Amino acid sequence: MTAALEMDGLKKSFGKTEIIRGVDLKIGKGERHAIIGPNGAGKSTLFNLITGRFPQTEGAIRLHGQDLAGKAPFQINRMGLSRSFQITNIFPKMSVFENVRCSLLWSMGYRYNFWSMVGRSRALTEGTDEILDQINLTARRDLPAGVLSYAEQRALEIGITIAGGANVIMLDEPTAGMSHSETDYIVDLIRTVTEGKTLIMVEHDMGVVFGLADQISVLVYGEIIATGTPEAVRANPKVQEAYLGEALEAH
Amino acid sequence: MTDQLTTDPTKPAQRMRAGSLTIPLIPWVLAAALVMILPFIFTANSAITIMNQMAITIIFALAYNMLLGQGGMLSFGHAVYAGVGGFACVHIMNMDDFFSQIPLPLLPVFGGLMGMGLATIVGAFSTRKAGTVFAMISLGVGELIAACSVIIVAFFGGEEGISGDRTYGMPFFGVEFLQQIEVYYLIAAWLMISAALMYLYSRTPLGRMANAVRDNPERAEFLGYSARWVRFFSFVASGFFAGVAGALFAINYEILTEENLNTTQSGLILLATFLGGVGFFFGPILGAIVFTLVQTVLSLQTELWAFYLGIVFVVTVMFFPGGLAGLLMMHVPAMRLGKLGRLGVPYVKTLGAGAIGCLGAAALIEMTFHLRHASAGDHSMTLYWITFESHTILPWIVAIAVTLVGFGIARRTAPALAEAWNDANTPDGAPR
Repeated sequence: MTAALEMDGLKKSFGKTEIIRGVDLKIGKGERHAIIGPNGAGKSTLFNLITGRFPQTEGAIRLHGQDLAGKAPFQINRMGLSRSFQITNIFPKMSVFENVRCSLLWSMGYRYNFWSMVGRSRALTEGTDEILDQINLTARRDLPAGVLSYAEQRALEIGITIAGGANVIMLDEPTAGMSHSETDYIVDLIRTVTEGKTLIMVEHDMGVVFGLADQISVLVYGEIIATGTPEAVRANPKVQEAYLGEALEAH
Repeated sequence: MTDQLTTDPTKPAQRMRAGSLTIPLIPWVLAAALVMILPFIFTANSAITIMNQMAITIIFALAYNMLLGQGGMLSFGHAVYAGVGGFACVHIMNMDDFFSQIPLPLLPVFGGLMGMGLATIVGAFSTRKAGTVFAMISLGVGELIAACSVIIVAFFGGEEGISGDRTYGMPFFGVEFLQQIEVYYLIAAWLMISAALMYLYSRTPLGRMANAVRDNPERAEFLGYSARWVRFFSFVASGFFAGVAGALFAINYEILTEENLNTTQSGLILLATFLGGVGFFFGPILGAIVFTLVQTVLSLQTELWAFYLGIVFVVTVMFFPGGLAGLLMMHVPAMRLGKLGRLGVPYVKTLGAGAIGCLGAAALIEMTFHLRHASAGDHSMTLYWITFESHTILPWIVAIAVTLVGFGIARRTAPALAEAWNDANTPDGAPR
């Protein structure tokens, strides 16, 4: 069985600085994989390489066995990979409903259609309302997305990310900047909406990581020093030394 | 916090409202009716000329707003697409054999296709990036084609331009378009068709994605859409309607010159569109109407009309970035609360006084202009239907006094207006 996502000798340099220094990683279908590591380890860069935001310097990335080299973000998205952002990245001036509807358009086959009216498609409206229901924003449906509370915007961002039906979902610090109750809420939400999909996430909150992930990779200075189940990673002495010890104590 | 996130069960979601299945037809029916009866209200030939010009500008401004308002692309050279569409139509008018085979009302289709063709070529490279890059390329292409007009004389006719005769076309149900009023209805029909099509376009998947790309191109890319192709298609569609406007210009005036596609013209449509407001579909319509009135009616009264227009534009950009449409829509909350009436008296007090102050200031400007530019010995000038000597001291004292008093009252009454504004926008019983 081919892995959902596979990285092979992946490297990325900005000028002379090597940020990702040879990452080999296989993420199986349906896995919930968390990537953790200290600040500046290259977690976000890794995300940006996988989603086509930056081109890699060396190595290969394969999505369901297909090479992603040279592909633009929109092409990678059409192949079934979707992502959220560390800093909330929505369409602030458009309504909550429209935010979600826009993310359904391509996957529902509308492409660059200019001869049918979005308001007339029952399937589109119902699909959008279904997503809004899942992320519990039905009551906020007609508000501009920019006026939502922070936690609501994060929920919307997750809704936009999953709406297109991608089977590989990448979340970049989905709970960053949230209170405890908000975090619990978002973790539940992520668990439900990514049911049956491959989930890859970067996260700092160890409670979230150990609560959601069934596989963990530890990225330190652009290299993966350990991959395994939460228990195995927690017990790994290398990880203890490099990172997790402090993080766990702090937690 | 968590409570806020969950659906409020007492407030069932207003399903099907934002995704409402019908276009609100009433404003369209009213607009069509108004367009039909206008020539019976303003019967003078000069009025019909102004209305023709107005309708053409509305189409052009709406086309321009497909880029600026809906697609987030600031173009400094959009007159090129209207101009080239117009030039092509004059050439078709001069192709006797071909032109006698097509009815005149179909001519704008050719103008539109020409504008669209050029937009396809230019858009292929200009829409890769939005923002400054797009703006600069649009300016460059605008200058380039304007320069071509004196080089490629066969197409652009050099400095004197090219002219044709619309009446050589195939009669359309017996109408030969000899009369201004016949041309008016031709233009009006195209106005309604173009406006409706542009509105419908904004409701299609591509039109919605144009908004999404405007707001956040990166996010749109991660939703499967290439920001570049979305921009490209908007650009091409806008080129079509600009071409239609150019064709109508050709039909109305039967002459096109370099002035129709140079950067001045591009700047003016930017100005008209922004003045009306880019945030709402009807904004450019308001902008085009006001702009045409200033350009035609005010320009008969004063040589300095462009100066005043410039001041209004700068004030709009600085204080009312939503334009006229934005100003109107600002009143919707007060209207919903049923408290719009409370603004009436304070508006009359402050804005009335302000308007008088503006008239006084304009008088000072006009008198200074007359003093400096009138031919030697010509000391008498007429302003606001009063004839007086511009070299005597009395008119100056009066103008200065009117200006000061007008602005003074406006300033004194401004706090009361602000108070009334807050009051009108606060629901009754809510804490202030």
